[in-house]
Amino acid sequence: MNEFVEAPAAPKEETWQEEGLKRRLIGTSVPRTEDERLLRGDGRFTDDVQFAHQLEMAVGRCPFPHARILSIDFSKATALEGVKHILTGAQVRELSDPLTVLRPVPGAPQLPYYALAQDRATYEGQPVVSVVATSRALAEDAIELVEIEYEPLPHVSDAIEALEEGAPLLHPQSLDSNLLASNSDRAGEPEARIEEADVVIRSRMRIGRVTPLPMEPRGVVAVWRPGARELSIHTSTQVPHLVRKQLAESLRLGEECIRVSASDVGGGFGMKLGVYPEDVLASLHAMALRRPVKWIEDRMEHFRASTHGRESIHDYCLAADAEGRFVAMTNTYTTDIGGWNSPFGSSQLSSVVFTGPYRVADAAVERRVAMTNKTPVGAYRGYGQPEVNFALEVLVDRLARRLGKDPLALREMNMLRPEDLPWTVPSGAVYDSGDYVKTLHMAAEAVDYAAHRGRPRTPRADGRILGIGLSAFVERTGYASARFLANRGSKFGAHESVTLRANRSGTIDLYTGVSSIGQSSETAFAQICAEVLGVEFDAVRVHSGDTATSPLNTGAFASRTLIAAAGALREAALPFRDKTLRLGAWALGIEPGDAVIEGREVRHRSDADKRVALADVFSRAILGQGIPHDETPGLETSAHFEPPSAAFSFGTAAAVVAVDPETGEFEVERFVMVHDCGVAVNPMIVEGQVRGALVQGLGAALGEELRYDAVTGQLLSGSMLDYAVPRAADVPPIELLHTEVPSPVTTFGVRGVGEVGTIPPGAAIANAICDALADHGVELSALPVTPESVWRALEAAKAAKKGEAA
Amino acid sequence: MKAADFLYHRAGSVAEAVTLLDEYAGEARLLAGGQSLMPMLNMRLWRLGALIDVNQVPGLDGIEVEGQGDLEATRVGALTRYASLERSPLAASRLPLLVEMVRHIGDRQVRNRGTLGGSLVQGDPTAEMPLACLVLDARVRVESGRGGREIAMGEFYHGSYAAALEFDEMVTEIRFPRHPQHFAFSELTRRHGDFCVLSVAVTGECDSDGRWHDVRIGLGGVNDMPVLAEAASARLAGTRLADDDIREAAALTQEAIDPPSDMRATAEYRAHLVPVHVRRALQQLCSKNRAADRR
Ligand SMILES: Cc1cc2nc3c(=O)[nH]c(=O)nc-3n(C[C@H](O)[C@H](O)[C@H](O)COP(=O)(O)OP(=O)(O)OC[C@H]3O[C@@H](n4cnc5c(N)ncnc54)[C@H](O)[C@@H]3O)c2cc1C
Repeated sequence: MNEFVEAPAAPKEETWQEEGLKRRLIGTSVPRTEDERLLRGDGRFTDDVQFAHQLEMAVGRCPFPHARILSIDFSKATALEGVKHILTGAQVRELSDPLTVLRPVPGAPQLPYYALAQDRATYEGQPVVSVVATSRALAEDAIELVEIEYEPLPHVSDAIEALEEGAPLLHPQSLDSNLLASNSDRAGEPEARIEEADVVIRSRMRIGRVTPLPMEPRGVVAVWRPGARELSIHTSTQVPHLVRKQLAESLRLGEECIRVSASDVGGGFGMKLGVYPEDVLASLHAMALRRPVKWIEDRMEHFRASTHGRESIHDYCLAADAEGRFVAMTNTYTTDIGGWNSPFGSSQLSSVVFTGPYRVADAAVERRVAMTNKTPVGAYRGYGQPEVNFALEVLVDRLARRLGKDPLALREMNMLRPEDLPWTVPSGAVYDSGDYVKTLHMAAEAVDYAAHRGRPRTPRADGRILGIGLSAFVERTGYASARFLANRGSKFGAHESVTLRANRSGTIDLYTGVSSIGQSSETAFAQICAEVLGVEFDAVRVHSGDTATSPLNTGAFASRTLIAAAGALREAALPFRDKTLRLGAWALGIEPGDAVIEGREVRHRSDADKRVALADVFSRAILGQGIPHDETPGLETSAHFEPPSAAFSFGTAAAVVAVDPETGEFEVERFVMVHDCGVAVNPMIVEGQVRGALVQGLGAALGEELRYDAVTGQLLSGSMLDYAVPRAADVPPIELLHTEVPSPVTTFGVRGVGEVGTIPPGAAIANAICDALADHGVELSALPVTPESVWRALEAAKAAKKGEAA
Repeated sequence: MKAADFLYHRAGSVAEAVTLLDEYAGEARLLAGGQSLMPMLNMRLWRLGALIDVNQVPGLDGIEVEGQGDLEATRVGALTRYASLERSPLAASRLPLLVEMVRHIGDRQVRNRGTLGGSLVQGDPTAEMPLACLVLDARVRVESGRGGREIAMGEFYHGSYAAALEFDEMVTEIRFPRHPQHFAFSELTRRHGDFCVLSVAVTGECDSDGRWHDVRIGLGGVNDMPVLAEAASARLAGTRLADDDIREAAALTQEAIDPPSDMRATAEYRAHLVPVHVRRALQQLCSKNRAADRR
């Protein structure tokens, strides 16, 4: 019996086409509404919000990976002129409750993560003291004057070592080991199939720790008006309504007392999914001082104080028969969650897509979540999917080499066909629909794969050898249902919501709790709403990310926004349209069935003289004057929509890489991505999302790495100087190709698109390098892949050959 | 992070700047392009009594040529920005290796502000300018209230980030002898414009009979300061840079290096790369020479 069963893909009740409406806006590349203000410098990020009498906060952080806090003396800091308020762990415990978790790891205990460390800190960067002063520089001066006596404790930075007997324990009060929780899913009899298999490939695959690194770091401005009992929070978040809920829980306030708004958010990538210690601290200071308090995370803090991503170790086993047919697959993996649980925990989707786009009935996966003395890991674009894609796709190539088969043919032989779908994977998730093989062929053709296969792997004139690597993937986008989330203990729903409100100018105000994080939802929402209503695109004005004005929703993450919001938009727009037509028809003295909305008017479908401006119709509704007696005044609709199931995007990437066999240096000369996100509401936005995520995926594949010193446990790459995030000049040429298979489980057939690019780069590039160096017998098993790691793999292969010869 | 408080002086002349340096007795620093100094202050890695801004001091940012033939020299003011070097036709014809290497520094913003003198004094062991100046055999002109002196680039560093300056001294000018006939540059970076994993700059003269002399091989990022591979150079004197000469010379570079391990690469990997990059740079030197012959 499977513990977590997702709802099966429900048949689509009614398709867009069946409604007999021709698409005007869905599917067109409308320029982004958000661009005008952003390009003019009129964006409103957290640091742009200023209040009179505002103060600034700075945070003192633990410099050790693990330490007991023996004493804190802030008398010198208090004496500094301009310092207004100081908080330490003891006060925070009096005034607030620990941070709550939105997506608990199933089976994990609640850890008492207070906004400031209590007697112990479990990661370098954990907040220990916070100071509010008249300027940030002064607050930082004060932090330097706070005398904190630490007793460094034994630490553990490696997730595998953390789970070994005798490792220093992080949370002895709650856990008797560093295993936060473990879960498994299985189908069939993988162990028996592995026994019988002709070939078995086993390998430990390591995925490095990275940081999501949004352009706008975190930030918060807290304003408390005691007379009004109103705490107003401006913050850079993907989930304003969830931050409101979490703040209410930690601050012991009713939700009605808190307003959270996130205007422009300079990128989130999963890292801004919920409350962090600093949000609670700024609120506590503001409430104590009755003055606005601002905290803006600086880049140095960001590297230690905001959640990291990815780090995990996968012990994969891929078993096949002599022909190469996959007969079983298992993955026992350890994810490193760091020193505390974060609002979203470490990635949970590795267990869902670990079998990739392949037909394997016998498969098992076990996930172990380890605690280490490092910054907590949270969600990051891809949420576990790039990790297993790297591990599995590299091993598929390894199997191909073992069997002397073409990696393309091996993939094709094992891929799920359109007629195999819907397909249930061991976690219970259901791949809805798609033509995976088609994307494989498109990618191969784009890089002239067949011709390349036939050529020898000899150096070109420049001394470098060319290799081609493929990576095929299926990506979970959106959530199955609230029922599914409830099974896993998640503290959020699966729905999205919108409110549409007519105004007297004849335009429509659209309210959503989804904040603008660069995903272009303002544009896409207006497109869909305008499409259904029949009005022009610019007649819809989207107001986003303010809990005081928007209906309760879930938020912008998990490639889910449009999947759920498309349904809400349609269901709010249809009754809005119908009432508009009834009121318009009444004003014109015609039958509602004869009325249509066109541009900014309601008119008779065949008599062009009979027309009334929307501004007039909406005014009548708002005033309740000039409308039928059986109609209520007002023209405002809201809808909440939960999709019946998650939609799975899919595709294949191909990388062409030139490798220097003497030094391991390499260059990605081409990167082709074939991708299907179902119906593209706005192809330009889709392209932007795929490209942006690809660059993040390429960064994590090629150089980004948060490395901790093996001895001191300290972060070695905690600044932009050492952390090698790609810049424009470092991005290889990217070519995008699309297929469009509508998803049967979503409104309009959309699939999510926000994260997909992060998935295939690592495997495609590693496979290309191994292909180029196939004659040398090189294997790669870790991300990132760097010139040095390629050189080391070359040396290891050389040594192995010598060993064989001897 | 925000810098802690410091006093700010804007010096109007070299004399004023060095007087202030003397008054602060080691507690003050000169502010040139600020591309190293400001990040260090903001990250609070440094706390200073005062900053002495020399950006308004006249006459420190020119490129001038003097002398003829073997006595020809090029003088570059300490405050000359990378961007000025990049765009100067005079620099392009007199100091082509320096100009080629400037393009590998940071990004456009950094090159618009950063200065030649600032980079030399900063003394990052992976930086391009110290390596270029070493290979080009430059001398650094230094002034203080006590008078002036000249320091050869080969003696300009005590160690990494440690220029051989007294606290009251200011660099005013870098003086280059006649530029070598042939040169080549190669570096490995993780990303375009990043501080390098290693860099190699080679120069040399080739006689009409095809024999090479004065071959200089400079290495960056593989020691606590840029170094010359003297033994390797000696191996090449009088040779025609045949493949064997180059291979043997490249192997000899190992004596000059003591590479670090850091986020960018391990010492082992750097040690492996040095001879390969030196060999390739020397091959490039040869082929450039041949190309020049054909022209
Ligand atoms: C993003 C970024 C990327 C970079 N990438 C590279 C790179 O790839 N390669 C590279 O080489 N560098 C790089 N740098 C560093 C850059 O080259 C700096 O400009 C240089 O190191 C210092 O020059 P400056 O003029 O900015 O000096 P400042 O920062 O103003 O000063 C540096 C030091 O030199 C002292 N100083 C300055 N001028 C004088 C003088 N005339 N006499 C005595 N002392 C003086 C100052 O007091 C200070 O101690 C990078 C910097 C940044 C911010």
